[in-house]
Amino acid sequence: MLPWLILLAPLVSAALIALITGRARRLSASISVVAVLVSFICSCIVFAKSEIAGTEIPWIEFQGILRVPIGFVLDSLSRTMLVLVSGVGALIHIYSPGYMRDDPGKSRYFAALSLFMFSMLGIVLANNFVMMFIFWELVGLCSYLLIGHWFERDSAADAANKAFITNRIGDFGFMLGILMVWAATGSVIFDDIIPQTWRITSNPTFLTICVLLIFCGAVGKSAQFPLHVWLPDAMEGPTPISALIHAATMVAAGVYMLVRVGFLVQASPVALGVIAWIGTVTAVMAALIATQQDDIKRILAYSTLSQLGYMIMAVGLASDEAAMFHLFTHAFFKALLFLGAGSVLVALHHEQNIWKMGGQGRNLFLTFVTFGIGMLALIGCPPFAGFFSKDAILSLAYNRNPAIFGVALFTAFLTAFYMMRLFVVVFFGKPRSPAAKTSRESPTSMLVPLAVLALLSLFGGFHFFASHFLTLPHEREAAAFIPGIALVAMLLGAAGAIILYRRRIEDPLSINLLRHKFYFDELYRVLINATQGFLARVSGFIDRWIIDATIVRGSSGATWSFGALLRLMQVGNLQAYAFIFGLGIIWIIYFVLFR
Amino acid sequence: MISAPYLEVAVLVLGTVILLIESFFSKFDRRYLGYAALVGLALIFLATFFIAPQSTMSSAPFWNFYSADATSLFFKRIALATTAGVIVMMFDFAALVSSGVQGATPQSGLGEFFALPLFTCAGLMWMASAIDFVLIFVSLELVTISFYVLVGFTRRNPASLEAAVKYLVLSAVATGFLVYGITWIFGATGETNLQKIATVLSGTGLEQNAALFGGVLVIIALGFKIAAVPFHIWVADVYQGAPTPVTAYLSVGSKAAGFIVLLRVLDPFLILPQMQTLLVAIAVLTLIYGNLAALPQTNVKRLLAYSSIAHAGYLLVAVVSFSGRAVAFYLVAYLLMTLLSFAVLILVSQPAGDQLESFAGLSQRSPFLAFAMLVAMASLAGVPFTAGFLGKFLVFDAAIATHHFGLVVVAIVTVGAGFYYYFKVVRAIYWDAPPASTDKIIVSPLTRVALIALIAGTFVLGVYPQPIFDALAR
Repeated sequence: MLPWLILLAPLVSAALIALITGRARRLSASISVVAVLVSFICSCIVFAKSEIAGTEIPWIEFQGILRVPIGFVLDSLSRTMLVLVSGVGALIHIYSPGYMRDDPGKSRYFAALSLFMFSMLGIVLANNFVMMFIFWELVGLCSYLLIGHWFERDSAADAANKAFITNRIGDFGFMLGILMVWAATGSVIFDDIIPQTWRITSNPTFLTICVLLIFCGAVGKSAQFPLHVWLPDAMEGPTPISALIHAATMVAAGVYMLVRVGFLVQASPVALGVIAWIGTVTAVMAALIATQQDDIKRILAYSTLSQLGYMIMAVGLASDEAAMFHLFTHAFFKALLFLGAGSVLVALHHEQNIWKMGGQGRNLFLTFVTFGIGMLALIGCPPFAGFFSKDAILSLAYNRNPAIFGVALFTAFLTAFYMMRLFVVVFFGKPRSPAAKTSRESPTSMLVPLAVLALLSLFGGFHFFASHFLTLPHEREAAAFIPGIALVAMLLGAAGAIILYRRRIEDPLSINLLRHKFYFDELYRVLINATQGFLARVSGFIDRWIIDATIVRGSSGATWSFGALLRLMQVGNLQAYAFIFGLGIIWIIYFVLFR
Repeated sequence: MISAPYLEVAVLVLGTVILLIESFFSKFDRRYLGYAALVGLALIFLATFFIAPQSTMSSAPFWNFYSADATSLFFKRIALATTAGVIVMMFDFAALVSSGVQGATPQSGLGEFFALPLFTCAGLMWMASAIDFVLIFVSLELVTISFYVLVGFTRRNPASLEAAVKYLVLSAVATGFLVYGITWIFGATGETNLQKIATVLSGTGLEQNAALFGGVLVIIALGFKIAAVPFHIWVADVYQGAPTPVTAYLSVGSKAAGFIVLLRVLDPFLILPQMQTLLVAIAVLTLIYGNLAALPQTNVKRLLAYSSIAHAGYLLVAVVSFSGRAVAFYLVAYLLMTLLSFAVLILVSQPAGDQLESFAGLSQRSPFLAFAMLVAMASLAGVPFTAGFLGKFLVFDAAIATHHFGLVVVAIVTVGAGFYYYFKVVRAIYWDAPPASTDKIIVSPLTRVALIALIAGTFVLGVYPQPIFDALAR
């Protein structure tokens, strides 16, 4: 029963808000918060009691062809993810009413947020590919709705479209991959596929294609190169959304999914190589771009990309444990950083340019402290959580692939650099705008989640805490000097940023290539214009002149006149009807007996 | 546990009591009779779930022509549900009945209008259980004769009268062929019981052509009931002229009963290859005719008449493929979407008429009715996640399983035509500008509940068809 409660509480809340309490904005917020707390408490109970098993409801049954139940998988992986998702989700729900105080669309926001919790928990619980895919699409929908929350702004509407369409590209591959697995094993249920895995692995080419197609789904959802372009734009949504969906949970779904189907992924060395390098490229590319951005949320978005790259890299290096460890710690400190940024934004009336901030360390002291903890965790400073998980990935890379290790180390250096830049520019120096001079600390309901997340970022990486939730990775021949090197890289980066950006009022560096994000958007625009625009013109021509003019008009004209002809038979005269009736009888008797 | 034949008896008693009250009391609101009929039907519907299995019954001669298996119970429920739906529609149609009858009192005729469908319903239920030609004939006549009265019920309306005369004459011709066919079969086999006929037919030393001739004549008569080409010719005029609730009744109740009898009668005959070919030919003709003739229609009632011919075609595909399951599911889906569309049609056409123009801008005059019609049309066309889609899916699945690939191709092409004319209605509802002066349409609570139930049913069965299969496999 409990797993159902976890899943359905947010759905009930979404339905209640959408259908009934839409007018009462405060009530809507309360319903949503209560629902997520119910989910969180149930998740904790499920986590603590390992004997709880999921019930299964049959849904689609085609004898011997396809069986899709609505069932749950409750292993240690999904139990941990349940607590993580509902826990971070609960903190962000508590934070949200403060952030969305004066928003007229507050009810809509909470309805979508609840629907998101339902979908995300559905991904975690799904015990088969079809169910997972459905929830996978649902989180995509919620992400679309929430990015476009302020849809009257063109930029938000465009960003929502971009996110949705980019994800569709990846999901198409994912779907093909699912179909391939189903075609080969005859099942979509994970537990039934595992004993049938040999059917796929016996053909290495098939296996590689299959895994790479499934990986496409993760590339889209976890915003990996080359489909990473949607995530920075997704920051058009409200900041709690950026924290929950576009940092801590949904974008990690791709990593979770890869770990879930690890039995397939690990079987293909070629695919593993591709996955590792895609992750590495994403990590370093995003870190480079982040060094030259001015928008506080965009910097954090690129850092999310970069950290997701680390996780994918770990999956590609065949260590699901390391990937999940980093996912786990990253969820805390990245949610913390975004919520901290949100707190700054509320204080500064939604000014996002870091060069118009400055000196916030005095005005927003609590935000400053917690943000600092999050920053230290992200750049991998001991003893904060990120140090342990990043160290695990670095040791892993050192043992498996030195080239990737080098790039990863460089990325760690860049991470420290851009985060320290952000920190110095926002919180130190003199206020550089009127709003920054008069900023005031945020309400308590927003500070409590910050404090909780700060604690988690502080302790989340320690063995005594994390080992309750995860199987911690342990590299057998982990070289003792790896943490040392990582520490040096981190210190170099941080020191460089402090020296370069202390007491500046504008950016001393200006690298156009990085400012324009390696010109990806421009490149895609040209590419789309060249291919899709060309295709559109060609198919437009075919549609207008060949299909419409000849085939459709011709056949519809013919059909229509035939129909009109048939109507002529309906003269309305009874004798004629009886006559036609008689003819029909004669025809049938002849047809059956005398032919 | 109740014995199955009491169901029909109960329906008859209900009808008789309502007629008696109508005759002996004068001063009361006649609509209470309608409510009484609804409550009675609901109770009898519930009773169908407590029927004792046939095996526990004595082997009295009665059970030689009456069967109470899961299929017949299922079709009895269809008959009861349809009748209830039709009576709900009759409430909305009451004003037109009174003006069409013009008796001494304002509500004259209304009591009979509510009572007559009950007798039809009893006939339909007997048809569902009939396994002997004698009972088939008698129950068919009970249905047909009550329909004669219902079709011509608004007797001051010339169109209704004309429809009644056409239906009477052509139906009489069809009945003549039915009786004639039964005598030939009896002459050839010496039996009227379908199971015994099957035994005789599968034996040797038989005048097979004589039996086949009789079988063909019976199929002609049934083809008339289910409106298959070339015996469909009455459909458009009669459907258009009859009072709209009666049209709905004709197109659902009459058709469902026709198909259960067709399934039972064909069972002994389908072993003959000529019969197969004949049915395939009829199915192809029905599909093409029904869908193509619907294309140029601008009168919604007539459009639904042709669409009912088209759906008979899809059902015939299922019959040819021996899939009783597909037939049953399709009929349930058809019931839901047809009753839905006729119910909306009655409300919309009261002031403005049956033409497509009166649907223009319905979305602004009544968003609820607009949505109901959208669901009905989507399901009739076969959009996924509606009952209509799953019905077509099961039919095509059965046809592919029995290697009728040509039929499936024809059926799929005609589905395409269906999308055109069904969505013509949707386009009028949502995209055409409403006429200048139109008021909101008021939907009574009873109708609203019925419409919501039909919409919900359409969606639920479109996603979760298992209850229907369970009911059939009892």
